[in-house]
Amino acid sequence: MTSPLRHSDPSDHSLFNHVLSALDIVVFEYDENSGTFQLQGAPPGWWTQCFGPERDASLDLHRCSPFLRDYLADPHPVWEGQSDRLEKSGPWTESDRQGGTMTLEASLLSIGSRKLVLIERLGLDFEDMRSIVQRARERMLAEDRTAKVHRTTQTRLIGQLEASERTKDDALALLQHLGITALVLDERRHVTFATDRALALLGIESSTVVGQAWERVLPFQEHDCQLVQHLLAGASHTGSGGPFCLDGARPKWVEVDIHRDPRHPDRRIIVLHDRTEVQTLRQALTEQASFYDLVGKSPAMLRVYQLVRDVAQVDTTVLIEGETGTGKELIARAIHSSSGRKHKPFIAANCAGLTDSILTSQLFGHKRGAFTGAVNDQEGLFEAAEGGTLFLDEIGDIPPNVQTALLRVLQEKEITRLGEAKPRKVNVRVVAATHHNLSEDVVRGSFRADLLYRIRIARIHLPAIRERREDIPLLAQAFLSQVCTATRKTVDRLAPETLRRLMSYPWPGNVRELRSAIEFSVISCKGNEVLPADLPPEIVESQVQASPSVVIQLVDRDEKSRLLAALSDAKGNRTEAAKRLGVSRATFYRRLVELDIHPQ
Amino acid sequence: MMQKKICMLGGFAVGKTSLVRRFVTNVFSDHYQTTIGVTVEKKCVTVDNRELTLILWDLYGEDEFQHVRESYLRGSSGYILVMDGTRRATLDTALVLQQTVVKAVGAVPFVSIINKSDLRSDWEIDEAAIEQLRERGWTVLIGSAKLGQGVEELFGRLATQMMSPSPPPGMCP
Ligand SMILES: Nc1nc2c(ncn2[C@@H]2O[C@H](COP(=O)(O)OP(=O)(O)OP(=O)(O)O)[C@@H](O)[C@H]2O)c(=O)[nH]1
Ligand SMILES: [Mg+2]
Repeated sequence: MTSPLRHSDPSDHSLFNHVLSALDIVVFEYDENSGTFQLQGAPPGWWTQCFGPERDASLDLHRCSPFLRDYLADPHPVWEGQSDRLEKSGPWTESDRQGGTMTLEASLLSIGSRKLVLIERLGLDFEDMRSIVQRARERMLAEDRTAKVHRTTQTRLIGQLEASERTKDDALALLQHLGITALVLDERRHVTFATDRALALLGIESSTVVGQAWERVLPFQEHDCQLVQHLLAGASHTGSGGPFCLDGARPKWVEVDIHRDPRHPDRRIIVLHDRTEVQTLRQALTEQASFYDLVGKSPAMLRVYQLVRDVAQVDTTVLIEGETGTGKELIARAIHSSSGRKHKPFIAANCAGLTDSILTSQLFGHKRGAFTGAVNDQEGLFEAAEGGTLFLDEIGDIPPNVQTALLRVLQEKEITRLGEAKPRKVNVRVVAATHHNLSEDVVRGSFRADLLYRIRIARIHLPAIRERREDIPLLAQAFLSQVCTATRKTVDRLAPETLRRLMSYPWPGNVRELRSAIEFSVISCKGNEVLPADLPPEIVESQVQASPSVVIQLVDRDEKSRLLAALSDAKGNRTEAAKRLGVSRATFYRRLVELDIHPQ
Repeated sequence: MMQKKICMLGGFAVGKTSLVRRFVTNVFSDHYQTTIGVTVEKKCVTVDNRELTLILWDLYGEDEFQHVRESYLRGSSGYILVMDGTRRATLDTALVLQQTVVKAVGAVPFVSIINKSDLRSDWEIDEAAIEQLRERGWTVLIGSAKLGQGVEELFGRLATQMMSPSPPPGMCP
């Protein structure tokens, strides 16, 4: 057993103890022979307090923590001479006798062949280190908790988002599933969703719809567009309108329901109901009764409608023949409106009673100074109707010179303004009308045959009312509602007797006369039903005075010859002649004028 | 009397010290005082009528500041891997530590516990993860040092495994 101080002098001994005390450590030397650890020098106070005085100055490992025992039992390179560095055990906790604990650390070293164990109590430096680690770990735990709160919040939000997405998807799936034709609009009125049905109706793909403004997706006509816009802007939860026409290669008719999206009051759901079929049937039905502004569903009129549709398909000149007041201009307009020229001008000109030069200048235009009063260059009706239709009424009345000019225009498709030399190209469809028998006029020499053949390529004969009496109730009712709307009167119907009288009246003035009669009776009418007494006197009187045979005669025979015969029978007395024919004096006079009869 | 060294291993603040204190002195504190170095505790148990002293090495928690020294593991007859149910990362630490122990002392019995079951609603370790550990052959207990739940069973199971002659089921090569 050796001690570093055993052979040195006492002052060295006390120096060694001072060093130990200053370092606050306890030193043992390992004795390989006895396998014990011998205390060197004086131990610090804490050591004796904790483990008691060392009996025979050797370390009692049983009184220490198993940590130190295990540690010392391990092989140590520093004691085997394999390292000359200090070897440290790492800290361990030892309980003191007062019920507290202290943290110790052992260091091993070799000095020559001697193996030493130094045990120190870890003090302030160690406590500093411990508190730093403690703080760092607490900080990490706290950050962990914050991150976790964020994660939970995020998860909750994502969950809520997913849930709301699901609800939205469910709602949309429901729209799909129920086969509803619907568009969902956002607050800017842009489409955010369209059901398959809606896409099929519109004949478009989802990708081209989503994000588009609704007006682009639903090609309504301008007026309908405004109505739908109004519905969309409405404050109520739902609104509906229609049927509206969706323009396209195959136009569709739809009724529109507008709903507020209950989850987003600014958003809208447009539900479309396809009413195309109903509308087609409805149209077919009304077409039976009216065509453009023409009213009537008699076989004669239905034939006229068909003719109009037929001639509209081609671009030829048309001649409309019919008595005065039968509505020849309406036919011309119908041809124009159902033709390819419908978006271009329709111009109507009455050729009756105009002088040669006035008519020429009206039709073809003139150059400034071409005649007295021509103060400006003026385009004619042909030029004004460029691309469209020019309706020449009373074509039978145009003077020979103009007939020649017109023929040239129809042949060359160019006009020359009065006073100009250079012709101008025109693209105009001419629809002509007459109440004359133009063939007779040709025979008589008042109308050019070549012009007649030019204008009579297509021919429509418009029947007189007496040839389609079954249309009288329809016509009368149509005029009644038109007149009521215009005069703001509420006359709902014609009394049966009134209608009977209208049916049996010969209507020499045709539809025009019927319309005036209705106007007259609405003004006279006191209640909401037109009574016979409200009708114009000639109709009331005709009923009283007419013997049916005369009326039938008038219907069946050529009117002009009938009037002339009646006049000659009455020896030129017009009142008498009217009586004989069963018509009022007024009617008789008007017919004389209209039929160009000039009794001496 | 037979003595067996057991190491408490796991990430920091998982409750190693708390489990040992609950087991040895039946106390618990909410106050966290991190372990630096090693504290060794002893507790006598009886397994199959045989008395046994468990030497419980409560090691500091594994993290970037302190890595477990392999020398501390030497001589262990078994070990306990502690995880904190409220922190998923402590499961990964346990997996790494288990590999370290196998390298240092070979295949000795061990039991794992997911601590803090009193905070179950805050847990990040779910049933699927627990099932995966069991599929690796781990004995996984769920407990709480705070409530004392599963603590006796934890040490009891390990003691039994250490005393059983045949290789324990929780042993991993
Ligand atoms: N709620 C709850 N808290 C616990 C439980 N076990 C431990 N704690 C708390 O967790 C923190 C850490 O516990 P310790 O036992 O010190 O953990 P450790 O694993 O020893 O930590 P280190 O020594 O730093 O590695 C302390 O605040 C404990 O009070 C438990 O079962 N439930
Ligand atoms: Mg601890």
